Amino acid sequence: MTKGCGRLLVLGCETCAAMSFAGGQRQVAELASAIRLGRKTSGDEGEVVEDAIARQCEPEFVDLIEDEVSECDAILSLACGAGVQLLAERFPDKVVLPGCNTTFLGVTEALGVWSERCAGCGNCILDKTAGLCPIARCSKQLLNGPCGGSMNGKCEISKDVDCVWQMIIDRLTRLGRLEMLEEIFPVKDWTPAGHGGPRKMIREDLKS
Amino acid sequence: MTINDDSMEICCPPCKAACPILTDAREYIQLIAERKYEEAFVSIRKLNPLPRVCGRICTHPCEAACKRGQVEEPIAIAALKRFASDGPWAGRYKGVLPDKRTGHKVAVVGSGPAGLAAAQDLALLGHDVTIFEALPFLGGMLRVGVPGYRLPKDVLDEEIQAILDLGIEVETGVRIGEETKLANLFEQGYKAIFMGIGAHKDRKLGVPGEDEVEGVVSAVFFLRQVNQGENIEVGNKVAVIGGGNTAVDSARSARRLGAKDVHMIYRRTSEQMPAAKEEVEEASHEGVQISYLTSPVEILGNAGGRVSALKCIKNELGEPDASGRRSPKSVSGSEFTLDVDMVIAAIGQAPDSSLVAEEVGVTEKRKQIIVDGPYTLVTTQPGVFAGGDAVTGPATVVEAISAGKRAAIAMDLYLRGEPLPTTGAPKTHETVILPRPIIDRTQPFARSKKVSIPVNQRLKGFGEVDLVLSEGAATKEALRCLHCYLGAKVDSEKCVSCLTCVRVCPLDIPTTSKMGEITIDPVACQACGVCALECPVRAIDISLACRSDIARDIEDGIHMAQRSGLVIVGFFDLHGNFGSSHVKSLKQDHPNIVPVMVFGLRRVDTSDVLKAFESGADGVFLAACPPDADPFPQEADRVKRRVSHARSLLEALGIDGGRLEIIDMPAEGLLEKQSVAELIQRMGNSGQARSA
Repeated sequence: MTKGCGRLLVLGCETCAAMSFAGGQRQVAELASAIRLGRKTSGDEGEVVEDAIARQCEPEFVDLIEDEVSECDAILSLACGAGVQLLAERFPDKVVLPGCNTTFLGVTEALGVWSERCAGCGNCILDKTAGLCPIARCSKQLLNGPCGGSMNGKCEISKDVDCVWQMIIDRLTRLGRLEMLEEIFPVKDWTPAGHGGPRKMIREDLKS
Repeated sequence: MTINDDSMEICCPPCKAACPILTDAREYIQLIAERKYEEAFVSIRKLNPLPRVCGRICTHPCEAACKRGQVEEPIAIAALKRFASDGPWAGRYKGVLPDKRTGHKVAVVGSGPAGLAAAQDLALLGHDVTIFEALPFLGGMLRVGVPGYRLPKDVLDEEIQAILDLGIEVETGVRIGEETKLANLFEQGYKAIFMGIGAHKDRKLGVPGEDEVEGVVSAVFFLRQVNQGENIEVGNKVAVIGGGNTAVDSARSARRLGAKDVHMIYRRTSEQMPAAKEEVEEASHEGVQISYLTSPVEILGNAGGRVSALKCIKNELGEPDASGRRSPKSVSGSEFTLDVDMVIAAIGQAPDSSLVAEEVGVTEKRKQIIVDGPYTLVTTQPGVFAGGDAVTGPATVVEAISAGKRAAIAMDLYLRGEPLPTTGAPKTHETVILPRPIIDRTQPFARSKKVSIPVNQRLKGFGEVDLVLSEGAATKEALRCLHCYLGAKVDSEKCVSCLTCVRVCPLDIPTTSKMGEITIDPVACQACGVCALECPVRAIDISLACRSDIARDIEDGIHMAQRSGLVIVGFFDLHGNFGSSHVKSLKQDHPNIVPVMVFGLRRVDTSDVLKAFESGADGVFLAACPPDADPFPQEADRVKRRVSHARSLLEALGIDGGRLEIIDMPAEGLLEKQSVAELIQRMGNSGQARSA
C-alpha cells in the first residue's frame, strides 16, 4: 500500500504498539528498512524516514511531529486504529496508512504470547463470573452457562480453546460462590459495546 | 547561621540570594500569608538580630531581585518584615544560649549593626562578649546617623536590649585606641576582638571658605546633634552638599528643625544618586529642593564671618570614573550663587581609624581597615577581626550585619583553634527572567500602598513617618508572592506521560517531549498545585503546602473537634479577607467546625473531601474567596465540577449530597455570622450521614 507514496514517514507508537512488538521504534526500524529494500528493487521513488512518539492517540504528541509530517507525502502509522485515525484527522492533506491490524485487548501470557481477554463491551460482568469473561472468551458469547458443545473443558471450535464457561463454573465452585449462576442474565443490551453507534466518554469534572 | 557559599541551594529564591545575610524572605512571607505571624517572626529573627531596624531602613536588594517585580511590582518584603517584627507576638521570642559556655572572652568594638550582629552570634556560640562603645549610648549610626522619623529611638532601644539580654556586657564611653589599646584588651584576657567602628568622619568638601566661614558643618556632626536631641541652630536657607542617604537625612532633618529653604546640591544626575529612591521622594514631598549636576565651588561669608552664600557650578557628564559612573565635568561660565545661611557637607564618610591605625593596617586614601577576605575578616593583627563600614566605607545596615555574622563564625573557629573558612569571592546571582507568556497569564495584583502620615503633620517633629502595614494589607501583600522554586516537580520514575499536567496547568507551563518526558520550568511555576492534584499517578510533588499537609490538617482537626454537635470540616481559601483573630473566634465560637486553610480551593481533591467524611465529619464545605482576590480565577469552575463529582460519589454511598457545599466567604472574615447557623442547620437536616 505504500507504492507510489513518495516521501514516506514510518511512525511508531511507544505504548501499546511497542508492547505488542508491532509498532515500537524497533519495529519501525525493521519495517522502514524493509520498505527501502523493496523500493530499491521496485524502483519506487521516495525517501523513507522513521520516527516514533509516545502515543499517537493524544493530540499533544501528534502536534510535536507537525513539521516533520509537512515534509512528507505519506505516513505509515504503526499505531492502533485509533492512532492512525487521529493522525489522519490532524493531517488531512496527507495520505495516512495503517501498518498494523488492531485486534484485541489482552494479556501477555509470556514473551511473544498474547491472548484476548476483553471485548470492550462497556458493561462489565466479571464480578458475576469469577473474573472470566464470556463476552471475550466464549465463542458464542453466551451469558448463562456453557453450550452443549463444551467437552472436557474445551470449546467445540478447537481443542486449543478452553471453554470459558467450564472455567467459570470451576472457579465459582472453588470460591464457594456457585449460587451466583442462579442469577439469569437477560437479553444483553449491546449499546455500551458500540452496537448502537460509535461511543464517546466525557468526564465533566476533568474537562479543562 | 551560616552565610557562606555552601548554603546557597541550587534553586535559591532570588530574594534570599540577593540578601547579604541570605534571609529566607520566601519562608516568612509564606508564613504571613498563612496567618502564622509569630512563626514568621521567628523565621526572621533567628537570622537577623535587628529586624525592626531592617524592616524600616533596609535598602532591600531582595525587592530589586523579586520576580514579582516582572509582573507588576516586587513584594514589599521590607514592609512585611516590619509587620512581622513590630507585632505583639515578637516580644515572646527568646534567643537560646548553648548549655556549655566556651569560657572565651571576646571584645566587640563598636555597637553599630556590625558590632551588635557579631556580639549576638558570638554570645549564641557560647562566648563571653563585651561591647566597647565610644559614645555614651549604643547603636552606632543607627542611633546617631539615622533620624528618628525613619527609625524611632525606642524601637532601636528595644532591639538592642533583646540582644544584650543574651548576657552581653557593655562598656560605654570607652574609645578603643585612646587609653585602652587593642593590645591592652588582649592583656585583659580577651582572646579575640571585632572592630566595627563604622565610618563616622565626614569628608571635607575641599572648597575655599569651608574652614574659614562659620555655619559649615559635617553631616555626621549635624545628625549626631539632631539624634541626641541637642539644640542646634539651623539656618533658614540650608544647602546640603551630597546625594547619599546621609545627605537626605540631613535635608529632611533640617526641614523639621525649621529651615524654610533646604537645597540639596548633587554633582551627578538623579539616576546616579546613591540615596534610596523612596527617601529622595519623601524629601521632595517635604519641600526639599534638589539641584542635580551641580557642584559647590566656594563658600562665601558675610562681614561677621557667618556663611551667607554658596557659589556653585553646573556640570555635564563626561567619561566614567573608577566607580563606573560618568564623571561630572564642570561647564565653564555656568557659575551661580545660592543664598544660604548654613551648609551641611554630606559627600561621604570615612572610618575614624586614626587611633587604631598603629595596631591594624588601614588603607592609605580612605583609612578603611584592611582585612584579608570576606569570610575570614582578619586584620593585619592576628586575633583582630573587622567588618562593616570600617572596612568597606559607608554601606548599608544589612551589609554590616552580614559582616558581623561572618566575623562571628570566623572568630569562633579561631577561638577553637580550627582553620578559618576559605577565602573566596561570594557568588553573584543573576535575576532569572520570567517568560513573557507567563507574565501575561499571571493575574495582576497591585502592591500594598505605603501609608505615611501627611506631610504637614510630619515637619512638626521627628515622629515616625511611615506606618506599619495593617494585617489585611500585609496578608494580601504576602499572597502576591510567586513562591519561587517551591513549584511542581515530576518524578520521572512514576510519570506515565498521560499529559494531564500539560493540559490542566493554568499557566501552560509543563511541556512534553516526543517520548513523553515532562518538563516543568521551575522558574515559571507558581506552585498553584493543580497538576499535583490532578496527576492520576501522584507523580508530581509540590513544595508549597504539599498534599499530605491537607490530609494531616483534616485528621488533626477532627481529632480535636468537639463532638457534641455536628462535626463539620470547612476548607477556607487563604486568599479570603480574614485575619488571625477571625480564625481564633471561629475556633472559639464554633468548636465543632474544623477549619482547614488552603492556598486556594483548587488544592482540595475529591479524596480530601471523602477523607473528611471518613474521619468522622458530618458535613464538609469549601469556602471560596472573593473572585477578585483569586490569583487563579479560571480554576473556580473546575472546583465546582469536582465538588459535583464528589457529591455524586457521596450520594452513591447513601450520604446526602446536601452535606457537601461550596459557599462564598464574606467580604471580611471567614464566615457570615448568620450563615453559620443556617449552614449547620442545612447539614443537620440532610439525610443520614453514614450509609446503612
